[in-house]
Amino acid sequence: MTAALSSFDDLRASLGASLNVASMVERDGKIVVSPQSTEEVAAITSYANERELAIEIVGAGTKRGWGNPVQANILLETARLTGMRGHSWQDLTATVAVGTPWAAMQRTLAAHGQWVALDPLWPETATVGGIIATNDSGALRLRYGSLRDLIIGMTLVLADGTVAKSGGKVVKNVAGYDLHKLMTGAFGTLGVITEVTFRLHPIPAQTRSWSLSSEAAEPLGELMLKVLDSQLSIQAIQLRASSAGYALDVELATLPEVLTLQVAALDRLAESVVATSLVSQDQPFGAREELFAPAGGLIVKATMLPSAVASVSSEVVRLGGSAVTQATGIMYARFPDGVAAKALVALRASVTAAGDGSVTVLRGLDASASPWSAEGVSALSREIKRRFDPNGILNPGRFVGGI
Amino acid sequence: MLNSAILDALRAAVDVEGATLPSGLITATNQLQTYECDGLTNMRALPGAVVLPRSTEQVQAVVRICDQFRIPFVARGAGTGLSGGALPAEGGVVISFARMNRILEIDIPNQRLIVEPGVINTHVTDAVAAYGYFYAPDPSSQTVCTIGGNVAENAGGAHCLKYGFTTTHVLSLEVVLPNGELATFGSSAPDAPGYDLTGVFVGSEGTLGVATKITLRIVKRPETVQVLLAAFDSTSAAAQAVSDVIAAGMLPAALEMMDRLSAKASEAAVHPNYPVCEALLLVELDGPEAEVNAQMAEATALCQKNGAWEVRLAQTAQERGLIWKGRKAAFAAMGRISPNYIVQDGVIPRTALPVVLEAISRMATEVQLRVANVFHAGDGNLHPMVLYDQAIPGQEEIALDLSYRILHLCVDHGGSITGEHGVGKEKQQAMGYMFSEPDLDTMQLVRHAFDPHNIANPDKLFPRTRLCGEKSGPYIPHPLETAGVAEFF
Ligand SMILES: Cc1cc2nc3c(=O)[nH]c(=O)nc-3n(C[C@H](O)[C@H](O)[C@H](O)COP(=O)(O)OP(=O)(O)OC[C@H]3O[C@@H](n4cnc5c(N)ncnc54)[C@H](O)[C@@H]3O)c2cc1C
Repeated sequence: MTAALSSFDDLRASLGASLNVASMVERDGKIVVSPQSTEEVAAITSYANERELAIEIVGAGTKRGWGNPVQANILLETARLTGMRGHSWQDLTATVAVGTPWAAMQRTLAAHGQWVALDPLWPETATVGGIIATNDSGALRLRYGSLRDLIIGMTLVLADGTVAKSGGKVVKNVAGYDLHKLMTGAFGTLGVITEVTFRLHPIPAQTRSWSLSSEAAEPLGELMLKVLDSQLSIQAIQLRASSAGYALDVELATLPEVLTLQVAALDRLAESVVATSLVSQDQPFGAREELFAPAGGLIVKATMLPSAVASVSSEVVRLGGSAVTQATGIMYARFPDGVAAKALVALRASVTAAGDGSVTVLRGLDASASPWSAEGVSALSREIKRRFDPNGILNPGRFVGGI
Repeated sequence: MLNSAILDALRAAVDVEGATLPSGLITATNQLQTYECDGLTNMRALPGAVVLPRSTEQVQAVVRICDQFRIPFVARGAGTGLSGGALPAEGGVVISFARMNRILEIDIPNQRLIVEPGVINTHVTDAVAAYGYFYAPDPSSQTVCTIGGNVAENAGGAHCLKYGFTTTHVLSLEVVLPNGELATFGSSAPDAPGYDLTGVFVGSEGTLGVATKITLRIVKRPETVQVLLAAFDSTSAAAQAVSDVIAAGMLPAALEMMDRLSAKASEAAVHPNYPVCEALLLVELDGPEAEVNAQMAEATALCQKNGAWEVRLAQTAQERGLIWKGRKAAFAAMGRISPNYIVQDGVIPRTALPVVLEAISRMATEVQLRVANVFHAGDGNLHPMVLYDQAIPGQEEIALDLSYRILHLCVDHGGSITGEHGVGKEKQQAMGYMFSEPDLDTMQLVRHAFDPHNIANPDKLFPRTRLCGEKSGPYIPHPLETAGVAEFF
């Protein structure tokens, strides 16, 4: 995007006349806007679209380093697009504006014992919109599915200012294309999401987590597959791997009176594979965030089939790294700077050898490289981007293949 | 539309020279008539040819020909669709998946399998049952409908309340795009980098290409299943019981309701021994035994609190089977109590059930017709069946009009015009009631990216025909409109 930046006053005049754009400042040669409504977002994108000005969409910025860097003239912040738009608790649905921090939304829903059953990274700061754009998910995905299964409708603004709705407010609905699925995980390259409707779940009556440690990954991997194959009320499972050893964390969610029975059954299963007992564990599922906590290092997201989790985990440790892998086959791995370059090549090879999957760098990539293992993107995906955003103004270049 | 050169090319695409297999090309009119319609039998069109490919390569060859000559094509599974999705384009090509019905790979540790699109829904469960698994989406037509058709319609079923619709169970797709190119969407491992094209393709009703290979997720069979049947004096009381069960934090495997008329029809057809009542509620809970026992006690109490005067817990697998048989037979059973009927498929927020059912009954009385209701109460998916007699002049039009007005009513209450049957040909105009022009235009961006020449199942799903790049195109009036019976918005 090389078009010259129009003056700040021009934008203010153009938008300010009809809209109350609450915040508009100039910072580092960029216009920074914080619209308060879908209409204001539309006014901004259509203004930028006509002048071919690039827009970077920013929530709380927690995952701003994921994907390729964006060169933008306008920074569109979603910080003021906040608040619940409705919580039909009896219908188990809720509509929320995208700038709302995840945890703030969950606190509101919890008033009726409900939640969006997803555990993304940094819920206190990360916004609903950023989580959707990056399709983040955590260990709960095993039981409740990903955002694709939890989002039932959306309001979005296209590059030309078109405001469109997709889906609706009912859980079951097959009318038209599921544009909200296309938007989820698209890194803001197809449109600006402004509001989203979720299906909700009741917060389970009781959850309890247990851990098992071992010096080797394989027995824990085997146990993980056995637990997946069991009929226990499992809510989440993850395998932690580091030079200090391996641990399998299992979270059960069921009625209090049933929990004891299930723990006994889980214990028997564990005994049969690893010959050690379960240890009750408090909050082990924050392990993914702990990987990110120290600055620096190479951090990747790797995906694989569940049956490959143990072998890839061992490989990470052999390469000098540590990892947390959810039973769905999503791994977050960290390597110290010294070994990063070599480890990345080796990990990619090992994921490829394991069959199906991908490795994407989230932090610590050297500037010239691409975060994705396969740089190619299909002609079809390029065509979709071209149709939605012909001037390439929305998060240009951010996503895989530079779309 | 299809001249002899095109027919020869199609034949070469699906028949291997010198092979003794039956031909994969059908052109004889009497045979083509078999493909004239799907489950929506009042709309018919004769295709120019039907092809029955045996491989992805053959499908590609056929679609390339269609692309080259701009011939519309329509994929077809079992033809059980209820919205005219598999209705042929007049004179165009129908691609039947009847011969692509192999299960290609079963991977139990990773809980997935790979199938060709012509595989019948229940055959998936049959293939994995021995390992203690099942394929969760269970449309009532599951013993005949195909996975390809399920994917195209994002089919649902009674158990989708807990387990999710088809889309939740599709991991990856191999698709022949409308230009004949082969594409893979998604992967068996989660989160394949790139746009979620699998998510968009599922439910796109054959308008974005044809699926030739599908990777499905399977689910472990629960330890126990229990089914409760409860009889109520009114649908509102039963609806309140549904809300209470959900509010208590339970996620039943199924929550189904039948009103007096539909229960009566089922009784006549398959004798499930249902109590005679205004509203019959079927609650299925599954999971670990101790959990199900505790929850079933609570669900029973909630039904009784809302006035259920008979609650019956099925004691054996056979009793459970019989209760479900009655429910699944409900559509077909309508034939017992009415010469003709129209099945609709609206969705409303669960809490609107009492008001909407009341309004439907009033609207039916106004035009002196009967409407039987069978529905997936847990997710607010209504299947109102408008009963009428074709032999009475004008009654079919009145019935059709009522069925569309019921859909509008659902939209007015914040719902949808279709929960599982799809838009197809039948509900094209209702799409314009549910979505605004900009919403539809945005969907068209997707359509045009996949199918710039508008040859994949054209003139379905969207309110009016539009050519690429055109803002609005020739408007094809619905027969009802031509007849002056109804106007569309
Ligand atoms: C008695 C009865 C009960 C029913 N109950 C239910 C129910 O409970 N839930 C429910 O959801 N539906 C139900 N249906 C509707 C119907 O069975 C489903 O829509 C089913 O998914 C259609 O499958 P099919 O193989 O018959 O597809 P078809 O009717 O042949 O085709 C349906 C659509 O899929 C497209 N298609 C088919 N194969 C492919 C492919 N390989 N690639 C791309 N597109 C393709 C067709 O072009 C068409 O648009 C019922 C129907 C009947 C008759």
